[in-house]
Amino acid sequence: MQPTAEQIEQDLLRPLFHSSGKYWVAVALAATLLLAGVAAFGYQLYAGIGVWGLNSPVFWGFDITNFVFWIGISHAGTLISAILRLTNATWRRPVTRCAEAITVFSVLIGAIIPLCHIGRPWLGFWMIPYPNERHIWPNFRSPLAWDFFAISTYLTGSTTFLYLPTIPDFATVRDASTGLRRKIYRILALGWQGTPRQWQRLETAMFIMAVVIVPVAVSVHTIVSWDFAMTPVPMWHSSIFGPYFVAGAIFSGIAALILAMALLRKFLHLEEYLRPIHFQNLGKLLLTMSLLWFYFTFAERLTAWYGNSPPEMAVFWESIRKQFAPLFWTMVVCNFIIPVPILAIKRFRTITGTAIASCTVVVGMWLERFLIVVPALGHKFLPYSWGTYRPTWVEVTLMASSFGMMALLYLLFSKFVPMISIWEMKVGLQPHGGVPVVASADGKHEVVLEGPQ
Amino acid sequence: MKALYGLYPDAAGAQRAVNSLRAATSELKFDPKQILIVSGEPHEGYEFTDSQHSSIPYPWAVLGAVVGGTTGYLLTTLSQKSYPLVTGGMSLTPAWTNGIIVYEMVMLGAILTTLVVLLVGAGLPNFKGVITDPDIGKGKILVGVVDPPVNSQQELERRLLLAGASQVKQSAEG
Amino acid sequence: MAHKWGMVVDLDRCTGCEACVVACHAENNIPTAGEDQAARGRAKHWIRVERYWEGDFPNPRIRFQPVLCQQCDEAPCEPVCPTYASYHSPEGLNSQIYNRCIGTRFCANACPYNVRFFNYYNPTWDMPLQLQLNPDVSVRSVGIMEKCTFCVQRIKSAEIQAEAEKRELKDGEFTTACAQSCASRALVFGDLNDPNSEVSRLSSSNRGTKLLGELGTKPNVTYLERGTWEDATHG
Repeated sequence: MQPTAEQIEQDLLRPLFHSSGKYWVAVALAATLLLAGVAAFGYQLYAGIGVWGLNSPVFWGFDITNFVFWIGISHAGTLISAILRLTNATWRRPVTRCAEAITVFSVLIGAIIPLCHIGRPWLGFWMIPYPNERHIWPNFRSPLAWDFFAISTYLTGSTTFLYLPTIPDFATVRDASTGLRRKIYRILALGWQGTPRQWQRLETAMFIMAVVIVPVAVSVHTIVSWDFAMTPVPMWHSSIFGPYFVAGAIFSGIAALILAMALLRKFLHLEEYLRPIHFQNLGKLLLTMSLLWFYFTFAERLTAWYGNSPPEMAVFWESIRKQFAPLFWTMVVCNFIIPVPILAIKRFRTITGTAIASCTVVVGMWLERFLIVVPALGHKFLPYSWGTYRPTWVEVTLMASSFGMMALLYLLFSKFVPMISIWEMKVGLQPHGGVPVVASADGKHEVVLEGPQ
Repeated sequence: MKALYGLYPDAAGAQRAVNSLRAATSELKFDPKQILIVSGEPHEGYEFTDSQHSSIPYPWAVLGAVVGGTTGYLLTTLSQKSYPLVTGGMSLTPAWTNGIIVYEMVMLGAILTTLVVLLVGAGLPNFKGVITDPDIGKGKILVGVVDPPVNSQQELERRLLLAGASQVKQSAEG
Repeated sequence: MAHKWGMVVDLDRCTGCEACVVACHAENNIPTAGEDQAARGRAKHWIRVERYWEGDFPNPRIRFQPVLCQQCDEAPCEPVCPTYASYHSPEGLNSQIYNRCIGTRFCANACPYNVRFFNYYNPTWDMPLQLQLNPDVSVRSVGIMEKCTFCVQRIKSAEIQAEAEKRELKDGEFTTACAQSCASRALVFGDLNDPNSEVSRLSSSNRGTKLLGELGTKPNVTYLERGTWEDATHG
C-alpha cells in the first residue's frame, strides 16, 4: 500500500514536531560521551600527548585508526546517493538523506581527529596555504597536505550534496510551521517556491554533484591510504592500498548506513518507508563488498607471503600468528565469516540479519584499520627498535566520544531535518516512479530518458 | 504581489491549465511570464516542466573546474618555485604530487560553481515572500497568474476551472 | 665548494661502551626518559648502540651497531612533512626545524632507521642536570620531533669562525659530540666533499656499506664492516 502525498508529509515531518522521552535520553547520553572526549582532550593539551599510549616506534595508534575509520564510514552517502542516483535506481529514495547525513558527519569527525592528534594542535592551521611573513607554507609533496585538500573538498562537496536536495524539504517544514520555527526554516529554505524552473535547476545541479562527488570520494580515501603507502614501511608500501582502502570504505559505509536505517526505522516509526526491500538491496551490496574485501585482503597477504621479504614477513607473522593474531582472526570472522552466510542466504537477509551483519562489519573494519597501522609500525627494518602499543584511557575516551559525537549530530539532525526526503518520496508516487519515460519513435516501447531533461 | 490560481490534482490537469492560460495571454492582456506554477515535487515528462530545462549549468561547471585546476596548479607550482626547499631528493615541482592538489581543486571548482549557478538560476535566496498553498504539500499543483489584470479575473477563473481545478483561490499576499 | 657532512662508523672498532650516547645527551639537551617512560618505549637516544646476539651459549656472539640519523640524500622523512619542518639543507644535512613542527609524526613513521624521536611530554631534568644544558642548542617542547643534527650547532659555529677569520675549514677542526667522545675512534665525522678528509678516505674503504642501502635512501653514514671472527677455541 503506497502512502499518499499527504501521509508522506505527515509521517516524515512528525519527528520534527514531536519527540519521545527516549529521544532526549539518547541525546543526553551522546552529549555526555562527547563532553567526556572534550575533557580528555583538554587533559591531553595540558599534560602533553604522552598521556596516550604512543611511543617510539609506534607513533600512530588509535588516533589514525579512528581517522581512517571515520573517513571510511563517510563513503556510505556517496555510494548510495550519487551512484544510485546516476543509475536511476529508484529504491534509493528513502535512503539518500540518511546516507548523505552519515557522510557529512563522519567526514567532519574524520577532519577533526587529525587536528587533535598532532603534537601541537594549536598550530594545525599551518596546513592552510595562507600568506604570511614567517615563511610558513604547506609542503604539497606530503600526503598530509593532500589529505587537507581532499578532505576539505569532500566536506564541501558532501555538505552541498546534502543541503541542496534538502532545500525543498526545508520549504515544506517552513510551510507547516509557525512562529520562530517558521522564521528559521524560512532562512534555511532560502525562499524556495517550487516552480518548474527551480526544480529543473535543482535536478541538474544534483546530477552534476553526483557525477563530481564520486571521483572525489574515491580520491579522498585513496589519498588517506597514501598516508601509509608513501612510506617505505614494510607492509605499508604497497600499491594495493589505494583500491583496498576505497573498497573497505564503501564496505564499512554501507554497514554503517544499514545500522542507521535500522535504528531510524525503529525509533522514528518509518516502517512504511524503510522497507525490507531496502535492507535486502543494501544487504546484497554489503555481501558484494564483503567478498571484495576478502579478495583484496587475500591478494595483499598472499603477495607478501609469497615474496618472503624478511621485513614484510616479520609484520606478516605478527598479524597472522603472533601478537596480533587474535585481533586479525576476529577481523576475518567479523568481516567475512559471519556476514557472508547471513547476507547470501535470502532467509537470513532480513532487517535484523543485515543489521547484525553490519554490526560485525563495523567492528571488523575498525580492527582492520588498527591492524594496518600498529603491527607495521612496531616492526620496521631494524629489530632492535621494534616496539608495541597499548592504548590508554585517554585514547579510548576520545574514541568513544567520536561515536558520541556522531550519534549526537545524527540525533539532532533527525530532529531538525526530515530524515527521508519528502519530495523525492512524492516523486516516487508518480507513474514510472518519477523516471521520465517517453514512447519510442515507433511507438512500440518505452524509452527511459537518461539524466535530468 | 498577489495571484489568482487553481489547484490541480495531477500533472495532466496542470498542463491543460498552463496551455489554456498561454492561449489567453493576448486576449486577457497579461504576459506569459506571469503564469505561475508551483508544485511539491518535479513532474518530469510534462511540457511545463521539461521546457524549463537548461543546459547552462554544465559549461559553467566545466569552467569552474578549469578555474579550480588552474588555481591549484599556480598555487603549487608558483609557491614551490619561489620558496625552493628540497625534500627527499624529489624535484621542486613534482608533477605527480602537484597533480593531486590540482585534481582536488578541479573538483572543488566544479562543486562551488554548480552551487552558485543553482542559486542564481533558481533565484535563491529569495526572501521577498513566495506564493504558496498548503495543499501543495498534499500533492496538488498550483497553476495561476501573478497580478492578473482586474477585468480578466473572471475569464481566468473560468479557464482554470475548465482545465480541472479542484478549487480556484486568490492569494492575498506574496 | 659547499660542504657535505658525512660520517663513518667503524664496526670493528666499536666496543659498545655507549660514551657516544651519553655525550650526545649532554651536548644536545636530550633529557633522560626515566624508568617508567623508557619501559613504555619512549626513551630518546639520538644515537643508540644496537646490540644483536648471534648464536647460543656457550659461544654467543654479540654485534654492536651505533645507529644515528643517516642524513639521507633521498630521505623518506622529508617529503612527508606537511610543514617543511624536515628538509634537506644545502650542506647535505637533513634538518629538523623545530619551530615549524606541528607534530604529525609522519616523518618518524617514514624513517626506516627509527632514528626520529618525539617529545611526548615537556622535557624535565633531574636536579642538578638542568644546570648542564648546552646554551647553543634549543630545548624542544612537547609535540615536536627531534633527531640527530650532526651537531649542527658545532658546524655552524665553526663555519662562522672560519668565515670571520677568512679561511677555509680544516678537517678535524671540530667534530660531533659522539665522535669526540668515542674512545676507540670508531666514529669519524667530516666533509665528504673534501677529498683529503679522513671521512672521505674511510668512506671509500672496501669494508664500507650503507645501512639499509637497498631502500634507496642514499645515507651519508658509511659503516665499515668488521673483520671475520677469530674463533677463540679453535684458533
